[in-house]
Amino acid sequence: MIRLSKALALVAAAVLFVAACGGNGTGSATTTFKGTKKVGISLPLTGQSNLYGHAKSQALRLAAEDINAKGGVNGYKIEMDVIDDGTTVPKAVDNVNQLILQDQVIAMMGSVTSGQCAAQTPIVKQNKIVYIDSTCNSYQLTLEPDLLNPYWVSIVPNTYMEGTSAGAEAAKLGAKKIFIVSPNYLFGTSETNAFVAALTKKNPNVTFNDKSTWYVPFPTNPRWDSTINAIQAFQPDLVYSNIFSQDQVNFVKQALAVDPNFFTKYQMVTLSSIDDFNALGPQYPQGMHVYMRAPFFQLSNSKLDAWVSEYKTKYNEYPSDWALMDTDALNLWAQAANKAGTFDSDKVMSQILGKSFSSLRGYNFTVRTQDHQANVGETIGTTTDSAGKYPFVVLKDSSNLKGDDIMMSTTLMQEMLDGKCEKGGDPKTANFALCPSWK
Amino acid sequence: MDPGKFLLFAVGGLSLAAYLFIVTAGLSLVFGALRVINMAHGSLYMIAAFVTVVVANQIGVAAGFFVGLLVAILAAGAVGAVIEVIVLRRVYNQEHLVQLLGTYAVALIISGLVRLIWGANYRTMPEPSLFSGTISLFGYSYARYNLFMIAAALVIGAAVYLMLYRTGLGRNIRAAVADSQLLSTTGVNVKLLFTTVFVIGAWLAGLGGVIVAPSQAVGSTMDSDILVLAFAISVIGGLGSIVGSLVGSLIVGEVISFGLANPATNAFALAFVFLIMVAVLTVRPWGLFGTPETQ
Repeated sequence: MIRLSKALALVAAAVLFVAACGGNGTGSATTTFKGTKKVGISLPLTGQSNLYGHAKSQALRLAAEDINAKGGVNGYKIEMDVIDDGTTVPKAVDNVNQLILQDQVIAMMGSVTSGQCAAQTPIVKQNKIVYIDSTCNSYQLTLEPDLLNPYWVSIVPNTYMEGTSAGAEAAKLGAKKIFIVSPNYLFGTSETNAFVAALTKKNPNVTFNDKSTWYVPFPTNPRWDSTINAIQAFQPDLVYSNIFSQDQVNFVKQALAVDPNFFTKYQMVTLSSIDDFNALGPQYPQGMHVYMRAPFFQLSNSKLDAWVSEYKTKYNEYPSDWALMDTDALNLWAQAANKAGTFDSDKVMSQILGKSFSSLRGYNFTVRTQDHQANVGETIGTTTDSAGKYPFVVLKDSSNLKGDDIMMSTTLMQEMLDGKCEKGGDPKTANFALCPSWK
Repeated sequence: MDPGKFLLFAVGGLSLAAYLFIVTAGLSLVFGALRVINMAHGSLYMIAAFVTVVVANQIGVAAGFFVGLLVAILAAGAVGAVIEVIVLRRVYNQEHLVQLLGTYAVALIISGLVRLIWGANYRTMPEPSLFSGTISLFGYSYARYNLFMIAAALVIGAAVYLMLYRTGLGRNIRAAVADSQLLSTTGVNVKLLFTTVFVIGAWLAGLGGVIVAPSQAVGSTMDSDILVLAFAISVIGGLGSIVGSLVGSLIVGEVISFGLANPATNAFALAFVFLIMVAVLTVRPWGLFGTPETQ
């Protein structure tokens, strides 16, 4: 027993060492603050989406430093309270309870997956904590009646905006036979339904692989042989995917091993991000039709360029879409709380809804009062070589779609909020494609 | 299903099985000889994968893959030796739960250290040119690298089998499994033997990491990504049996491949694996090729 205790003590010491090495100090030495207030976030520093959690935590810490350098919020120094959820829903729920009840955070930034966010929203709502969501993006989070939360704000293009934009792109490409691959959870089903609804509205004759084969388990194992073989067997005109992070990297890599011309033979419309570009570097296929939430190289403006430079100097890497959007998220909350002159959630929300905010994305966005969704844009384009400018591909033939052009119409939104788009009155079946005005 | 498609999905299943076997072979060897469920096995595999990618990207893939192979296996073996001497020697006589917790703690520490050293970003490398390219059969493409993985799995399986049943070391390992105290009375240094077995297990984990590295994203979660299926295979084939690992990997690989290919079974493909696992646990709890624990 004594030997075991020694071993455990050694392990505990090592864990403490690791934790200490991973620590991060923030703050300005010259400003005098009234005290420190914590802003919380539960995110995946481990597990399937750890890449996104890594970018978000770096960006939020940098944003807090910048806010503190300008005097903080309402005279208080802001400290980010970051907890790892391992990309699991149960841990994300534990974390939000800990952040609110134990750490007494005054606001929260959004987690990564829609499953986690959907599980967190009732707790956030019950405790009246402002939650600025910049990554999880299922439109149900702001429109499904049983998920509605007066303290929730979405500044990420939601699955309606993304899915319908991708559907319009696929329609433009004239594809008739589509193979769909998507992660099997709220985000995947929500975005895929939007894609299918938009595409079939424009082209009713399009055909798909059997619906039962659209979704892959999330998280899944690193081998994609079955999906790649199924695509070869189906011989589609176009592959549509919204798999992301490690899954996308593995899928692309293994498909290219099967056929170096795989993505020429089967053109692909897919969600992507700078993290995915960066992971594959020059191996990321050119000619892919991608839609992205906030690629810095495509949104270049003086404010953004300065931030990219600051971020790269600090972390020695280019900021991902998630880093950019989280910086906007914390800045939005800080601006609103400063204007409110208090941290009271109701008063902060009154400074957010219907108000316009400047962003790193080069435009101002407004958070719609009815569904708390910001009119943020989406970037769409075709991958091409960056000619040595970056260690990853960039976009050509691209456009920055305006938020107002891709947002759900107010009529459709109101029908969703009124419960007119459900099967048998079950809010969990809410789908905009069932709304009277969509039909 | 026409023969071309059948072959496509059968080879897809073999690729998955090869990947799973390469990773689980060392796990099985270590449990068979030392009766320790090594939760840090995936960590050794991850370290080797990172070392391979870093070396290959540093000096070029052509030579880098093979230099990486050498460095990664040495690194995995060295880390394995340290784990065995510092942690495992203290838990051999403890119940399995203590061993699980001990090796799980090691896995967490290594995971943290890997993130500190190599960061959170995924890293990739191209396949070595010797194994890159494709072949075409019945109108479908097959990756040469996948075929290389299948061949590598067979070679590894055969080498481990021969080591266990055709060498003096293998004879000692099997004797230690039967009665390590009796073996020590014959003059065999059992402590050193156990360290040797664990280092061989670490080499196998390292070899798995090296072989897998060119075919997927190398990141700090790859240690745990494989864990669930690896244990399902071990339960089905019999923890401790190399032949069992091979057969278990084949069953899991083909069930997933054909299960996902068929729209009627697509949603349940993974569930079938665990149904098989439950059936084996019910009928033959020590697995298809395992042996019941006597203690």
